[in-house]
This record gives sequence, C-alpha cells and structure tokens, in this order.
Amino acid sequence: MNSKPGLQSPNNWIYRHSYNVRICHWVNVLSCGYLLASGIMIFLQFPELYWGKVGFQGYDAVFKLSDWGLSWEEADALGNRLWGRNYHFLFAWIFLINGLIYLTWNLWKKSFYQKMLPRREELGFNNLKTELASHLRLCAPRGEAARNYNVLQKISYLVVIFILFPFMLVSGFAQMPAFTAISPELIDLFGGRQTARTLHVVCTLLLVLFVIVHLVEICVAGAVNKIRSMITGSYALPAEEDK
Amino acid sequence: MKKAKASTLSRRKLIVGAGAFGGLLLTGCDSDIYTPPQMRGGIMGVADVLTMATQRLLLSGGQLVQEHELHEITKNFPVWNQSNPEDEEYQRLKHGGYEDWQLPISGLVNRPISLSLADLKHFPQRTQITSHICEQGWSAIAQWTGAPLLQVLEAAGGIMPTARYVVIQAYGGFYEGYDMFDVAHPQTILAYGMNGKDLPSGNGAPVRLRVERHCGYKQLKFIKSIQVVSSMADFGRGTGGTNSDFNFHWYAGA
Repeated sequence: MNSKPGLQSPNNWIYRHSYNVRICHWVNVLSCGYLLASGIMIFLQFPELYWGKVGFQGYDAVFKLSDWGLSWEEADALGNRLWGRNYHFLFAWIFLINGLIYLTWNLWKKSFYQKMLPRREELGFNNLKTELASHLRLCAPRGEAARNYNVLQKISYLVVIFILFPFMLVSGFAQMPAFTAISPELIDLFGGRQTARTLHVVCTLLLVLFVIVHLVEICVAGAVNKIRSMITGSYALPAEEDK
Repeated sequence: MKKAKASTLSRRKLIVGAGAFGGLLLTGCDSDIYTPPQMRGGIMGVADVLTMATQRLLLSGGQLVQEHELHEITKNFPVWNQSNPEDEEYQRLKHGGYEDWQLPISGLVNRPISLSLADLKHFPQRTQITSHICEQGWSAIAQWTGAPLLQVLEAAGGIMPTARYVVIQAYGGFYEGYDMFDVAHPQTILAYGMNGKDLPSGNGAPVRLRVERHCGYKQLKFIKSIQVVSSMADFGRGTGGTNSDFNFHWYAGA
C-alpha cells in the first residue's frame, strides 16, 4: 500500500477537517480514553451487572465477571474506584462540554447536513450492498470517491454522535442518586438504575467496537494521510489508479 | 386579561423570591450550596463545583426523591462495610438494647439537648420507601422510619445564623458533614426503623441518617452525636467528612 499517495500528485490536496473538528476530535479521544479506563477501574470493584431497580452481590445477575475467569477478589485487586470515580466525572465534564461545542459549531456550519447526512441515492439497497462488500474486502475508496465520507461511514458517525454518545450520558445520569429527585422518570424509562448501569456498559462495548473498526479503516485508507488530515486538516486524495 | 396574566406572573415571582430568600436565610450564604466545604485543588476542584452546582440548581425546587411501593422492598437488604463497630461503648449500648443510648445535639443551636431513642420516637414520624444507592454500583430498596433532622434541630432551639454545616459522628469512627440544603430536606431523617421493624445492627442501629439524593456513603450508620458548626476545618482533614478525607467526593449526588 502506498502511504503517501499525495506526494506524486500535489494538486490533489484537499482541506478536509476544520479547526473545530480537529480540536474536538482529539479532546474527545483523550476524554473517551480516560472515561473508558476510569470506567473499567470502577467496574472491576463491582464486577456484576443486574437488570431492574435492584442489584447487589448475591442478587440475580445478568453478568458476572467471575463466570469469565476473574474472581470478585481478583477483580477488586485490579480496580481502583477512588481514582476511577474522580477521573470519570472530571472527563465526563470535558466530554460533555467538548461535545456541546462540537455540536453547536457543526450545526451552525451545517456540516452534519452537508457532510454526514446520507443522500437518498446512497441509501438504495444496491449501493449499501456494494459499499458493505468493498468495506469487507478492505478496499478504500480512491480519487473523487474519497473526497466525501461514504455512506456506511456517514451512518456510523451519525449513530455514534447522535445515539451512542447521548445514550452514555443519559444512562450515566440515571445512575446518579440526585436524579431520583431531579428526574425519577428518566430512571423509570430505563426500568431502573441497574438496567441503566448494564446498558451503560453495553453501549461502552458498542463504542469500543466502533473505535476498533474506525482504526482498522484508517489503516486501510492510509494511516499517515488520515491522521495527518486530523492534525493539519490537509488530506491527500488517493490517486484514481494508484494500485 | 393582560393585567390578570401579569399579576399571576408577579405572584409566581413573589413565591419563587420568597423561597429563594428562605433558602438564603437558612444557608446563611447563597453560594454555600454550590461548593463543598473545602475545594480540591486544580481541575478536579472545578469538576466538583460544576457537578455540585449543576445538580443543586436542578434540585432547587426541593423535589422529593422517588418513593417506591411496599412490594418493591428488597428482601435481604445488603449489610455493607461496618456491621458491628468494635467500639466498647457501642457494644455496651447494644447489649442494653440501646436503652442508654443518648444523642447529644450541640454547637450552634440555641438550646443544646440530648435525646434518648424514646425521645426521638416522639417526634413526628416520617416513613419513606427509597432506593439506597451505593457508589460502588449496587442498589436496594427499603422502608425507613425516623424523625426529620430539621425538626430535631428545632427542638434544640433552632440553629444560629452562623451555622453552615451539621456534623454527625458515628460509633466506629466515621463522621460526615452536611450542608443546610440537605439538612432542611423533608426526606432527611434520623432513621430508627427499617421495613417496619427496629433498625437492625447491620444497617446502623440504633439510628442512622437517611439523606436521600446522595450515595450510600453519606447515609451514616451508628449515629453517636450531632454538632452544628460554621466550618468543617477542625474536623479530620477539614474536607467535610471521612469519605472526602479519603479523597472521595464530598458532594455525593454523583
């Protein structure tokens, strides 16, 4: 794979990511990294998940880490919820404020509408099938096709930004004692705080899955070029028949 | 028509204003309810204040926490952390069925008093079925019966204007400070009953605090004494409680 496709054709440089997107992206990487690490540290000291309003050691669990080879005591020794809690709430604020800045800016600039909203023809069954097949064969788009996000990329970004991230926040709120007074309806909507806690973890796994796919795609499409574009904003369009 | 609407609005404003003024009187200083007794250093302190101020704003209506139905009460409510303090005095009181237990209320109150368990049971009773939410992740539902903390303080002649925190000491060495925002909440009770029976030893007999809207570590068990103070600086490391002395959040709304 040619990692510097743009160098042969300097005319193909495009300006891909605005200042706002680049700064928010890296702040988000940092906060999500800390949120994941601190979340794991909290979870390890209570490594069971329950469904409904109630859950404790000895209560019917939907998930027990001890069933997967790590006993309660071993997990407890690995975890550190004092560090975890402090950093989880600190980076939750950074994540939230950063997310609000990103959303406001890009709604204002109509970026979601222009760059992420799939066009009707893209959503046709045949197009989706072709896109999926080329993703599975790890073929990155080249030339003009690489200028814009492809349809699966658009859909996954929209899902992460408008469904999974807000869900993480809301399922986090539903676990907070203050919300038993602020909005018990929110907790009831989940069917109880233990369900909210379980779904908080499930949603984390979905986000981790997204990050894995995201990283694989970046490597497939040319890691140096992709990462450079998220730092400097400039992206070298891969030439049409480079292969 | 327009005039009537305007007067409704101004009446609402009046009520809100009166409530805010009442809160101001109660807390002494309005900004108190948005910050912990001792700010942590750096960006961690900023996050603490953001959390506390946001939640306190959202709670400023004085909303009650959700109360559950009788059938939702958890069987085998967990006994967590301390279940039987080794404190000699506590053991003596326990063996005497808490007959000799006394709750001194001192500090910035107009008439310091000491209450027995029987005295406490003579206060207007409040019973609530609520979720106990542990910071570690577990939760369970129980029915708590007790005397509203504010009424108990009023029996001590009421608090002085300089009062800012209520410090509760427990057998076993824990202590915790609470600001007036929590003290004045109707669901903040000194609970002596659980699920229709006397509070069991494992859950904090003879009396524990229920300060709903907070994590479990604020629900102090085995209560020994109550002091009303203007500052938390002289207690422990000065952060406002045993848990915050260990660097957990003092404000535990999460």
